[in-house]
Amino acid sequence: MIMRRTLLIIGLLILSITCFALQCEQVVFEQPVIVTSAGQSPGALQLTVVAKMAKIEHTFEKLLDADQFEAQTYKTLIIVVGASGKGLGAAGIEIDAEFQRVVLLAQKAKEHGTKIILGNLEGESRRGTSSDEILLALAPYADALFAKVDANQDNLFTKISEERSIPLKLFEKTVDLVVVLNEFFVK
Amino acid sequence: MRKVFAMLLCVLFVVGIAFSVITMEVGKLLASNSGIVAAGNPYASAAGAEILEKGGNAIDAAIAVSLALGVVEPYASGIGGEGYAVASFNGEKIAVDFRSSAPWLASVENAEALGLTTSNLRSGPLSICTPGVLAGIIELWLHGGSLPFAELIAPAIRLASEGFIVNNTFASTCGSSYDVLLENAPGFLKDGIFAWETGDIATNPELAETYRYLAENGPQAFYKGELADKIADLVESKEGFLRKTDLENYRALVKEPLHGTYRGYDLFVPSIPVGGPYLIETLNILEHFNLSAFNWDDPLVMNIINQALTFAMIDLLSYSGDPEYVYVPVETLITKDYAKTRFMNIDLNEALNSELYYTDYLGRPDLFEDTDSYIEALLAGAGVIELEPSAAGVGEDTTHFAVIDKDGNAVAWTQTLSSFFGSKVYLDGFFINNEMGNFTLDDTSRGLVPGKRPVTTICPTIIEKDGKVVYLVGTPGGYYIQSTITNVIVDLIDFGMTLDEAQMKPKIIGSPNYPEFRMETGYPENARLFLEEIMGHTVREFDFPYRSFGSLNLIQIQPDGLAIGIGAFRREGGASAPEY
Repeated sequence: MIMRRTLLIIGLLILSITCFALQCEQVVFEQPVIVTSAGQSPGALQLTVVAKMAKIEHTFEKLLDADQFEAQTYKTLIIVVGASGKGLGAAGIEIDAEFQRVVLLAQKAKEHGTKIILGNLEGESRRGTSSDEILLALAPYADALFAKVDANQDNLFTKISEERSIPLKLFEKTVDLVVVLNEFFVK
Repeated sequence: MRKVFAMLLCVLFVVGIAFSVITMEVGKLLASNSGIVAAGNPYASAAGAEILEKGGNAIDAAIAVSLALGVVEPYASGIGGEGYAVASFNGEKIAVDFRSSAPWLASVENAEALGLTTSNLRSGPLSICTPGVLAGIIELWLHGGSLPFAELIAPAIRLASEGFIVNNTFASTCGSSYDVLLENAPGFLKDGIFAWETGDIATNPELAETYRYLAENGPQAFYKGELADKIADLVESKEGFLRKTDLENYRALVKEPLHGTYRGYDLFVPSIPVGGPYLIETLNILEHFNLSAFNWDDPLVMNIINQALTFAMIDLLSYSGDPEYVYVPVETLITKDYAKTRFMNIDLNEALNSELYYTDYLGRPDLFEDTDSYIEALLAGAGVIELEPSAAGVGEDTTHFAVIDKDGNAVAWTQTLSSFFGSKVYLDGFFINNEMGNFTLDDTSRGLVPGKRPVTTICPTIIEKDGKVVYLVGTPGGYYIQSTITNVIVDLIDFGMTLDEAQMKPKIIGSPNYPEFRMETGYPENARLFLEEIMGHTVREFDFPYRSFGSLNLIQIQPDGLAIGIGAFRREGGASAPEY
């Protein structure tokens, strides 16, 4: 009896993991893509370089707001999280306003069915308090995540991925993100 | 698998090149009887140790470190930059001023004619002053160098051409300026497009080539040869002020260091237009307090140090400038009696009123014109004067290193581009400074004048006891420099800390530039509460270790001659020693 129950639990566990994995794998993103920063670090700019290498049709607007966002034009929104005092200063925007901008943007994208990829490209150096607050505020809107391995040392990205049942792609070096994007955007 | 194996071999090869015969510790104490080097990057300290091992002296090794830092910390310093070194060589003290100078076209009149404001001088081609590092190297080498320049630059060439492992500091610094680098210096980026990442093996073939040119033609080729033409042509094409004549006419200045004392120790520091006088002033004020009767984390001590620093920094902002162009009463500022007038202003009970900084709290060196006595000076000079604080900034993104050789010759050397990546103008593997941003566009002591050297806070320091070098101290940090160095000197001398304890202890800042009491976390919670609730400070804490609070590279020489070094842990620096 105990044996049968154990087998049943294991079976259910395997089934749920498989379902989860399938669900994660099934998310496919479409082009064209619009890229923005959340926190004004240079990570979003680096992502555009990677997107170019991956031959993904994209537009970069580092201060894209909900009003400017043309939901009918873009199929996917990539938000690169990284709070930078220097970047915010150069862009002339306060962190609170930046926070509000990206959350309203994500809300609009979600309402219009635009898929959202949320990510960290600069690793541990963009895991400060402000970056994490932005990440957690945007997490409910994300359809997929990517993160540099050293940004996930505390498994924050893994936890978000598991809680929201969305795929997470980790990568070691920036150039490895080309592979990640190619997996997201099956052509 | 094959790729991983190849990468592993490559890493071992690079590590092997750099440290084959050198003992090296990153951010930890290292002891040696045969000389030691402490620098903001372990490859740079290893380059210096290599020269010591080849029989070079402290000056030779310091030159090698300076050039190697241009490879492994290219954002913080390099041949496009400037600095100041203090050396003790065969018992003689010299200070070499290789501060950059304003180009001859850089006048207030020309700036106004072009419609420029001070913010236009903070970045880009217009922010470039005439670089001084190689001229400083020439003067130091003439004073005591023993090995050929080509031999001293060889470790840097090797690092630039064969590569070095990128650390977190390098990666995060490049990453946070990625947008600027992509626009202005793609040649510096990995494969021309990516920011360097931790663990990468970085090379800089262009800089290797530039260094080879200098090895063949000598450091003066930077100022007179083809390289000078290239620099001048580039800056002129980008509408900056620098011209070839500025390079041809530039000279580093050899001076006597300023001398001060603190509790029986002798300090040798650079004079104006950098931070030496104000460090001596701070310590002269602190000498009136029996700090060692307290613990280092006592809020009363923290308040005293904060206020002493604030008074000295008020003086730096009010009374400093290039001595070739303005009169500054340095000899008064460093006297014990002048410090007594500042000691009188210390409020043991509460925070200073920042509204009084440039009136009631303004120093009065002018009262000492006819007397050395603070009693006579104050009796003669009643009343309060008022000054406008200078609006000029100083670059924070510098580097410092220290060297001592087996014979006790010592060099403390601080070099900089002003801001990280300087003007962002990049040529042949190196960045050129943005020191023009330290001038104001007016006729004040910090105002722009062609040929003038701007005021900054750098302060490489040699400390002696009974005629023997005992400490070499210095740090980058802009307006934090005096604070960081004062923290360390007090910790070593008053609180008897070891070098690593002083290095690792959280730091406090005192400066009129900041309305709040800045400190790193790590002090007792009650100390912070006391400062806030009892003394009325507005405390702003920064998470320890916070890089701006100093990247100290320190050396101590014990009475038995054993040298102990430690690199800046806030910047992953390291100490290295030769193994004879």
